[in-house]
Amino acid sequence: MTSIRNTIATLALVTVGLVATGTAPASAHGDDDDRVIVTGACSGSADWKIKVKTDDGRLEVEGEIDSNVAGQRWRWTLRHNGSVSDRGVATTTARSGSFEVERRIVDLAGTDRVVFRAVRDGQTCRGVVNY
Amino acid sequence: MRWLTNPVVQFLATGFVTLVVVVVVTGALSRQAADEEAVADARSLTRVLGRSVAQPDIPEGLVTGDAAAIDRLDRTVLDRLLVGDVRRIKVWAADGTVLYSDRTELIGAVYPLGADELEVIEDGGTDAELSDLSRPENRYERELGGDLLEVYTRIRSPEGEPLLFEAYFTADELGQQRAAVLDRFLPISIGALAALVALATPLLLLLNRRLSRAARERERLLEAAVRASDAERLRIARDLHDGVVQDLAGSSMTLSTLAARSEGAVSEELEEVGRSLRVSMRSLRSLLVEIYPPDLHTAGLAAAVHDLLAPIVAAGIEVDSDISGDERASDAAVALVWRIAQEAVRNVARHAGATRMSLTIRGEDDRLVLEVVDDGVGFDPGTAPDDAHFGLRAAESLVREYGGSMEVESAQGSGTLVRVEVPLA
Repeated sequence: MTSIRNTIATLALVTVGLVATGTAPASAHGDDDDRVIVTGACSGSADWKIKVKTDDGRLEVEGEIDSNVAGQRWRWTLRHNGSVSDRGVATTTARSGSFEVERRIVDLAGTDRVVFRAVRDGQTCRGVVNY
Repeated sequence: MRWLTNPVVQFLATGFVTLVVVVVVTGALSRQAADEEAVADARSLTRVLGRSVAQPDIPEGLVTGDAAAIDRLDRTVLDRLLVGDVRRIKVWAADGTVLYSDRTELIGAVYPLGADELEVIEDGGTDAELSDLSRPENRYERELGGDLLEVYTRIRSPEGEPLLFEAYFTADELGQQRAAVLDRFLPISIGALAALVALATPLLLLLNRRLSRAARERERLLEAAVRASDAERLRIARDLHDGVVQDLAGSSMTLSTLAARSEGAVSEELEEVGRSLRVSMRSLRSLLVEIYPPDLHTAGLAAAVHDLLAPIVAAGIEVDSDISGDERASDAAVALVWRIAQEAVRNVARHAGATRMSLTIRGEDDRLVLEVVDDGVGFDPGTAPDDAHFGLRAAESLVREYGGSMEVESAQGSGTLVRVEVPLA
């Protein structure tokens, strides 16, 4: 089932990037066959990126926010099929002005909908992958 | 194969067989004990994992299949559940839905629970059984290899719903438990038995040596007694032969002479007395043959047997005798065969009530064979009183000591066969 879904994912079933403010989505595939990378712009000047790939029956999800400003605190939320799988607060680092969150979620039967959302001072970033 | 009759060899062989039996039985019992111990350990571990590790961290929403709840359980608890020989974890709802498994492909699938699982989920407790790997819900366990022990216990979700927590154990633990138990008990069992054998063997050797020495002493005494008896009987027989028999012969001849010289009634009476004396003299000579055998070496076995059979013939029994092959036999062998023949013929005369009797002595290869057959009343060897055939039993003992064999075949109303084989040399 996972391999079938990987194929479907590779066929861009899932590469939907959506910015809450209506910014056009962007998506990209990495080198790995089953890796999906989706990028987009936040409602402010920051950019977001989500990478999803399979790993031993799980989905490895990496969410990244790049604001080019170090020391910003962002509240982030990772939703899996609509429920909050994990949430937290992260600060952009000095050199790149970005932060990255990596979590493993269970690869369930059917299409898994992964939403990574980050909020700071009214600026919202929201990326979605249907894997 | 004479060594097989050695009691020390028999003891050692019995000890070895006992040792093998002890090892096999101890092994079986140890395996059983180890299995029970391993299953008990697996039950305990499953109870601890289910109630103390999994249950407190089961998130709300797991029973409804909430993806985030499954993620949290997977992230926070899995590493603490897959410990030791636990190779698989499954959490079931009562309707057979797999709410969680470390093989995520199974999550959400529905497989009806068995009666045992339903009993545990309803009544609590813990149960264990070997996994049936042919069932579809266990298809991912096949790749783990070997037998798996699945142990399940009841836990509760935060919503209060009873769930079935199931852990799968590999057989490695069973093997280790078996080895551990065997390592503990096998040396004790084997060591104790080996020590007993090692201690008893010298004692048995000593005892056997003493018994053999006593047997040889007894045999020597018996031989001395027999020789003394022979010498005494020889003296008596010689005295009778040289004294009474010669006197009777002389008197008989004198009476015959007197009868020839007399006339009428006196002559007839003298003849009658002379005949009576000759009958007595024959009886006395037969008695002498019984008291002590004639000089077998000089007169020959055939002549001696002829004298032996004379009273039987006189008693009206039809006798058939055939003696051959005794020339190559040693004096001892001939004397032994003579003695047995004497005993057998005596039994025929006293007990058999026979009308016919056959006595055969012949050489066969390196053995001298005696056969005495009669058509008398016979007897049941199993029920015959001991004293009735004491002579034959004593004879058998002599034959055995000489390295020969003796068999007596008889049945009520079917006559008797006595067959003896002794070495020629």
